[in-house]
Amino acid sequence: MNMAPSLRKFVLTLHVISSVSLLGAIAGFLALAVAGLTSQNDQMVRAAYLAMELIARFVIVALALASLLTGLIQSVGTPWGLFRHYWVLVKFLLTVFATIILLVKMELISQAARLSAETTLPRADLSAAGIQLLVHAAGGLLVLLVPAVLSIYKPSGMTRYGWRKQYEQPGLSQSILKRHA
Amino acid sequence: MADPLPYPGAPRWVKVSGIAVVVVATLVIVLIHVGGGHHMPPAGGHGDHAVPENGH
Repeated sequence: MNMAPSLRKFVLTLHVISSVSLLGAIAGFLALAVAGLTSQNDQMVRAAYLAMELIARFVIVALALASLLTGLIQSVGTPWGLFRHYWVLVKFLLTVFATIILLVKMELISQAARLSAETTLPRADLSAAGIQLLVHAAGGLLVLLVPAVLSIYKPSGMTRYGWRKQYEQPGLSQSILKRHA
Repeated sequence: MADPLPYPGAPRWVKVSGIAVVVVATLVIVLIHVGGGHHMPPAGGHGDHAVPENGH
């Protein structure tokens, strides 16, 4: 299934915007995690964890799902496919992995926000949660930088499935496939 | 249909990345077990080390 060029460009634009915005949102989340963990000011700590929950719930999750969805549409609607080239497959797996970890850690993020809203600030508990959030945000940022780099360099290498498909479907753009074989 | 060439195998960058991922995952698992895993704070409750607000 191949998309029309205009539709393909539109989906690609959405994919780039959502993916790059996701990186920026995680970087902002990371800055708040550092502030929440290191600040001696109670108001700053409370504000950081409350803002982290809002950003995670309404920005990061939404952008992660948008990036995943537009990437899927982009791959199945173009000759690149989802399972034909290693760089596409690796991008997909890394994004799925990061999204699952994000969804799993949403409870911890909400918990940190709840703790930060208590009358007496439970510093020790918040620190324990904050360290985890800091590690996961930094890890997530590093993991999601890989798809960005892969998208630009598009390293060569076809999967066994892609190799077989290029001979089964003569309608495919052989020049693209051979250039990246 | 053209006679298919034999599959050349996965490229080097995939093999190297795969090995790196396995090594890092193993290290993380070992570190988690050595460190006793994550200590989750109790949901919605105070921990044992809660300090009063503005306490010095």
